[in-house]
Amino acid sequence: MPSLKPLRVSDQSQTESVTATMTERPWNVIVWDDPVTPMSVVVIIFRRIFGYPNNKATQLMLTVHHEGRAIVWSGPLERAQGYCVKLQVAGLLATIEQDA
Amino acid sequence: MAARLFVRRRDGRIEVRLNDAARAIAREAFGHVLAAEVDPNHEWHASLNAPIDPSHDVDDPLATLSRQHDVTSNVELAVATLGEEFLNDAEAWAWLCTLQVALRATITAKGIMTTERLDGADESTREYITTLQAFLFSLAEAM
Repeated sequence: MPSLKPLRVSDQSQTESVTATMTERPWNVIVWDDPVTPMSVVVIIFRRIFGYPNNKATQLMLTVHHEGRAIVWSGPLERAQGYCVKLQVAGLLATIEQDA
Repeated sequence: MAARLFVRRRDGRIEVRLNDAARAIAREAFGHVLAAEVDPNHEWHASLNAPIDPSHDVDDPLATLSRQHDVTSNVELAVATLGEEFLNDAEAWAWLCTLQVALRATITAKGIMTTERLDGADESTREYITTLQAFLFSLAEAM
């Protein structure tokens, strides 16, 4: 998680702190629901790509199913892009978005 | 009880119990994925190239290239092992990814993004989707 504490107390450093906070906002990897993908396939893909235990993978799959989408991972842009690519290669509808 | 199409053996390999007709369906699906990856006019091409970051007009080219490379690697491995009786872990993963890509490309190309649209699809489309789902159910269970 990014730190919200200013680096220093001067005006300039406060600006730097705000900038740093903005650039450090994490990127979310989103998986979207569709009407055909078997639930067990989604669980397998989450386990394989993220290394999540079965319980967590199943919980995320159910969130996708019931809410239409789920944030399955958050972190730096490059890693979010990498995970999104892997999910798309595995046939899931996935995108990334920066945390609000 | 439906027959299992893929079965995990004690040695870790996955036995493929598809008959000739079922393998022909898998071959057709894999062929479409392979063609769609290189042919921008293929009806599945857009599905295989969905935006990674919808907030930008153009995705990071490196991410796009990585996706194209990985999709192609999976489908080539799946095609190369179509006639095999047993699959190792990497081959089974390539089959799962390619079948799932084919399933999602099918619904995207036909605009079937809701259960209502799926129910209203023509019979041959629903049968094709059901067949791919059966493959995926059984393969996921075996993995």
